[in-house]
Amino acid sequence: MADENTINQAPGTGAQPLLSVQNLTASADGTTILRGVDLAVGAGETHVVMGPNGAGKSTLGHVVMGDAAYDVEEGSVVFDGRDVTDLSPDKRSRAGLFLSFQAPVEIPGVPVSSFLRAAAAGRAGVGDLKGKQFRKRVRELADELDMDPAYLDRELGVGFSGGEKKKLEMLQLLLLEPKLAILDETDSGLDVDALGVVSRGIDAYRRAADGALVIITHNTRILEHLHVDRVHVMVRGRMVAEGDASLVARIDEHGFEQFEQAAPDAAPGERAEETPVAAAC
Amino acid sequence: MATTPAAPASAAPTITLHHVNAMPAPTWHRLRVNETDVELPADLRAEPDVQVEAPQALLGEPGAFEAALKRMEEHLESTGELPPAAVRPRGGAAGEPSASSGAAAGQADGGARSDDAAKGPEEDPALDLPALSAFQAASAAVEASGSLERAFETGMGPEAFAYLREAAGEPVVIATAPGQQGARAAVRVRGVDGAASAAAVDVVAAEGSEVSVSIALDSPEPGAGAVGCSLRVFAGRDARVSIASTQTLDPAWIALDDAGLMLDERARVDVRHTVLGAGRSCTGLAGDLRGEEAKAAVDTRYLGTGERALDFNYELRHHGPKTESAMNANGVLAGASSKTLRGTIDFVRGCKGANGQEVETVLIADERADNRTVPVILCGEDDVAGNHGATIGHVRSEQLLYLASRGLSPEAAEQLFLRATLEEAALTAPDDATRAGVARLGRALLDDFEEEIA
Repeated sequence: MADENTINQAPGTGAQPLLSVQNLTASADGTTILRGVDLAVGAGETHVVMGPNGAGKSTLGHVVMGDAAYDVEEGSVVFDGRDVTDLSPDKRSRAGLFLSFQAPVEIPGVPVSSFLRAAAAGRAGVGDLKGKQFRKRVRELADELDMDPAYLDRELGVGFSGGEKKKLEMLQLLLLEPKLAILDETDSGLDVDALGVVSRGIDAYRRAADGALVIITHNTRILEHLHVDRVHVMVRGRMVAEGDASLVARIDEHGFEQFEQAAPDAAPGERAEETPVAAAC
Repeated sequence: MATTPAAPASAAPTITLHHVNAMPAPTWHRLRVNETDVELPADLRAEPDVQVEAPQALLGEPGAFEAALKRMEEHLESTGELPPAAVRPRGGAAGEPSASSGAAAGQADGGARSDDAAKGPEEDPALDLPALSAFQAASAAVEASGSLERAFETGMGPEAFAYLREAAGEPVVIATAPGQQGARAAVRVRGVDGAASAAAVDVVAAEGSEVSVSIALDSPEPGAGAVGCSLRVFAGRDARVSIASTQTLDPAWIALDDAGLMLDERARVDVRHTVLGAGRSCTGLAGDLRGEEAKAAVDTRYLGTGERALDFNYELRHHGPKTESAMNANGVLAGASSKTLRGTIDFVRGCKGANGQEVETVLIADERADNRTVPVILCGEDDVAGNHGATIGHVRSEQLLYLASRGLSPEAAEQLFLRATLEEAALTAPDDATRAGVARLGRALLDDFEEEIA
């Protein structure tokens, strides 16, 4: 496997990576989940994090976003040249980080349109759009994603199908145009049509914002139309392999067993947890 | 009016309205939610500032409401649905609790339901009757009287009704002609500093007619006092009545919004209460679904901020067969606000095939906020369907994380909940004046509020 463990620098550029996760060890309720994880993503790159269930992939996304359900015991998260390890999620978002949730929440009483306006407020570009201009922009994005505009007047996530929830995640991605987006199982549970819409959304984001992507997935189908720069494999809370896009085909053919056999076992009392703690409660 | 002076030594003198928003069947003594008292400055003068926008032809004469009740009563007598007047027990007969019912129509007998009901069945000479609770006895007495005037009630109860009617003076009467469609009227009550500014409104929708009435309780000028409305609605056979009441008072004001409905056969009444402001806000509504297949729906939206106290009481009483009722409340409580909402669906014997449901969703955006939701279903008929449900919750950690991941701090998240409620109220406001009131409140609470809804 080429380039294995060469992960502290954006490959090929020699430049400072946009996102640099170094030796990240994190736990929840006293149980260690991530163990010494390293990850470096350059500006505009697309990275894929794969691994079997329970590897800690979603936890990595949540810890990078600053989910307070996890304790960072060791290591750091540096984003855009700034150590954000102790920063709250809202400040990380404002700095240009984005996490698309595996299971987006429902918030009764809050219309989607009001939520989007609050999310955009104060951001350069979209935050400057007022009233009708903002609504027009949102409707354009909804059209682009084949999303019924009626959803914009509904309460956030309430009564949305799984596909509509993921479309709304994509709409936010396109609206906010973050510097780096972590897509946590965005493709899970989607039918072929919805998967196509999500893929289009990712393409549109790359075109419009030239943003970096960290795609957490089990499913290689969403990667078919994407240029993937690096692939990382997580097992039991550790990054155990890294390579170029050819690694995806290898995983597709042979699964994760080879990586699981090669990975060190968890120490007693340690575990890797796929489902974020907050969502599991 | 049976108000009681209540003046602590060091405070300004006040009067108290007792038994306001009292539940018809008070069973929650331990939680102290059965009813509330409202203290008002004793020196409030009655000075209504009421604007009415309606075609002249839509304005009726005082007494139209009572006349409509009388006609309906006579019709029900003729069909055997009410006993003939000659054989009815006289009101106030020995042992008969006067109950809360009827105070609003007969006006100001001042009887508070709790006191009257407390007389109980032990004073009833009809000892061969099975033992009844105080509520059951009072209710049975009203039913036996066969009087719609006695049965009619408003949600806030007799004392508040009497206070508001006295403060308001001559009622505004909105009366449609049979079959009239598209009738619209707007009543705007504005706060007057140092005064009780109230409107008394009677809506009488004739058979087959349709009317929409918007009511705004607003305080465009600074000051303090009470602002209220006493509303009575008679919906005749096949009539449709739509009421939109919006309260946008600043925190220095007290809001008193009282309503009572009487529905004839196949009548439909839709009420929307939007309660956004006032330091103390009381909203009450009682509806009598008397005619077969009558329908009443109440949709309540509220917002609690700062230290505001909101109090609601809804009672929908099914008399007619196949009647339908729905209460839907949706609110946000922020800051150190508090809210009590009582919702009672009462299936009276004989309302076979009736269906009633009540649902409340409360989002509590601040740990200091206090919410009390009291759904009650009373059932005196077996062939009915009644449902209630409530979703009450603090904002969960995963919801806050989601909002934070989109750049919203906890403070911004709380503002979002307020903004969402206010924006919806502004966008659904029935007229520009009401919308202006919402915008004024919104500007006081949020930056750029008006700009965002433009």
